[in-house]
Amino acid sequence: MPWLDCNSRRVHYELAGPPSGPAYVLVNGLTQYVRLWHPFRDALVAKGFQVASFDMLGQGQSDKPSLFIHQDDQVKVLGSLIEKLGNRPIFIAGISFGGVVALRYAIDHGDRIAGLVPMSSFAEIPAQLFMFGAALRTGLVLGGTSFLQDLLFPMNFSGEWLEKMQHLIELARHRGWLANDVYALQNLMESFLEFEPLTEQLPAIRVPTMILTGEYDFLTPRPLQESLRVHIPDSALVIIQRAYHAFTLEKPALTAYLVTRFAEDVMSGRWRGNGTIWVAPEDVGGELTRFPEGFDHMRAIPVRIEADELAPLQTAAAP
Amino acid sequence: MKPFLGPLENGRIPALQQTRVSAFLMSAHGALAGQLGVALPASLHHGWQVEMHSQYCREMEILSLLGRATSWIPDPAIGLMIWQWQLAWVPRQISGVADRMQGTLIDIAAFGHALHAVIRPAALLPEGYPDADPFALAMRRIEFESGRLMQAQILFLKGPQLVPVRDAVASAVERRHAQIRELWQNMLHSIEVDMSGRHHLVPAYQAPAQPTAAIATQPSVAIREP
Repeated sequence: MPWLDCNSRRVHYELAGPPSGPAYVLVNGLTQYVRLWHPFRDALVAKGFQVASFDMLGQGQSDKPSLFIHQDDQVKVLGSLIEKLGNRPIFIAGISFGGVVALRYAIDHGDRIAGLVPMSSFAEIPAQLFMFGAALRTGLVLGGTSFLQDLLFPMNFSGEWLEKMQHLIELARHRGWLANDVYALQNLMESFLEFEPLTEQLPAIRVPTMILTGEYDFLTPRPLQESLRVHIPDSALVIIQRAYHAFTLEKPALTAYLVTRFAEDVMSGRWRGNGTIWVAPEDVGGELTRFPEGFDHMRAIPVRIEADELAPLQTAAAP
Repeated sequence: MKPFLGPLENGRIPALQQTRVSAFLMSAHGALAGQLGVALPASLHHGWQVEMHSQYCREMEILSLLGRATSWIPDPAIGLMIWQWQLAWVPRQISGVADRMQGTLIDIAAFGHALHAVIRPAALLPEGYPDADPFALAMRRIEFESGRLMQAQILFLKGPQLVPVRDAVASAVERRHAQIRELWQNMLHSIEVDMSGRHHLVPAYQAPAQPTAAIATQPSVAIREP
C-alpha cells in the first residue's frame, strides 16, 4: 500500500492507470475516503488518465492528527503527490472541502498543473455556509458521525437517488461511520471554519478552470461558484442538471465525462473559459449548452437581466 | 485476522472476546475515573470543575455498565495485560511545561482525549449484529458517549490558557494517542481482530449508474467561443 511522508505523518494514496501521459489528482470532500472515488476514477482510467487520490490528514487510512490540523498541511500533501507524478499534464479535481485545498494549491503553484476543476467548492465562507458548517459540527459533537451523515445524506443527494438507493443507505451509513473518527472529522471541520477567504487571490489562478456546480446544491449554492467564475480569469461555470452537492457520487459517469472532456480540450488547445456559463448534458456524451443569454443564471426561475446588469457578464465572457 | 469481533458463538460474540475488550475498557476508564476523582475538589469553584464532575460520573457509569453487560469468563492470559495497561495509564510529567501541576493536568486530559477519541468499541461489532444484545448496546453507548465526553478535554487542551505551551500539549496528546492505539491493537490482535481491515470494505452505494465503457466512446465537445 503506497504512503506519502509529510512532516513525519503518513498519508495514504492510490494510483491507477498508465504511469505516463496525462494525470488527474482527486481531492476528497469532508467525509470522503479514496475508495469512494473508484467508479469515477475507473471512468477516467478508461480514457487513458493516470488517477491519483489520497486520504487527507484526518481521513481514511492517513494519519489523524490528534488536536490540530492545518489547511497548509493538506496543501503540502497535495503538492507532494503532484511531485510524485512528475512532469506531464496534471489536472486537479477537488470536491467541496477538497476543492478549497485544490484552489489553494493552484493559487501558489499554478505552473505545476495544466487545469483545475473545483466541484461544489468555495473560496469564502459567508454567513449561510458558516452556519451550515457550525451546525454540522454541533451535530457531529452531539450525535456522532451517524447523525452527521443523517444530515449530509439529504444535503448531498437528490430525493430520487436516495429513494433508489434506500436499501443501501443503512449500510452506506455504517461504512461511512466505520471509516471516519469523530475527533478527526471535528479537527477537519474546525480547520475550515477558521479559514481565511481566498477570493482576492483567485485571479492568481492562470490555468484553465472548469467550475462544476449542482443545479440544486444548497449546501454550497451558486453564489459561491459565481465568485470563482468572476475571479478566476480562464474559467467556465458548468451547471450539472438536477444535481445536488455530491454529484461525483450520484452521477460519477457524467461527472467523469465532463472532467475528461475538459482535460482533452485543454490539452488540444481548444479550451476557452472566458467566464462563460454552460449547462451540462443530462447524459454522458450529450452536448453542453450555453446558458440562455439574457437570463440570470443565479436565479432558480427564468429572470431576464436588465441591460445595465448584463454589461458586466458580457465583459466577463469576452474573449 | 478479521476486522470485527467473531465468529459468533450461538449468535453472540464469544465470551473470551467480550472479556478481553471489557477488561481493557474497564482498566482505562477506571484509571481515568480514579484520576478525575483525585483531582476533583470536594467543593466546586470553577465552571470547568462541573464538567469534570460530570465526566467522573460518566466514567463510573461506564464501569458499572461493562461489569453487568459483559459475559465474563476466566482468562488466564489477562493478568499480564492488565498489569501492562495499568502501568501505562499512570500520569506523567510532560516535557516543555515548567509548572508540574499544569503538566500533570495536561497529561490527564491527553489520556482522556486519547481514550475517548481512539478507542471505538462499537466499530468492533460485526455488521448486522443484533441491536438488543447487552454487550453490543454497551459498546455503542460507550462509543457514543465518548464523542461527547471528549469535548471537555478538547476545550481544555485547545483553550487559551495553554496557547503558550501548545507544542508541548500537542506532543503529549500525540504520545497518549499512539500509546493507547498500540495497546488497544495489541489486545485486539490477541483475539484475532485487526481493525485496519475496516478500510478495505467496499462502500455500499458504489455501483456506477452507467457503464464506464460508454464514456470511452463518447466524442469530445469543447467549451469554446463560436
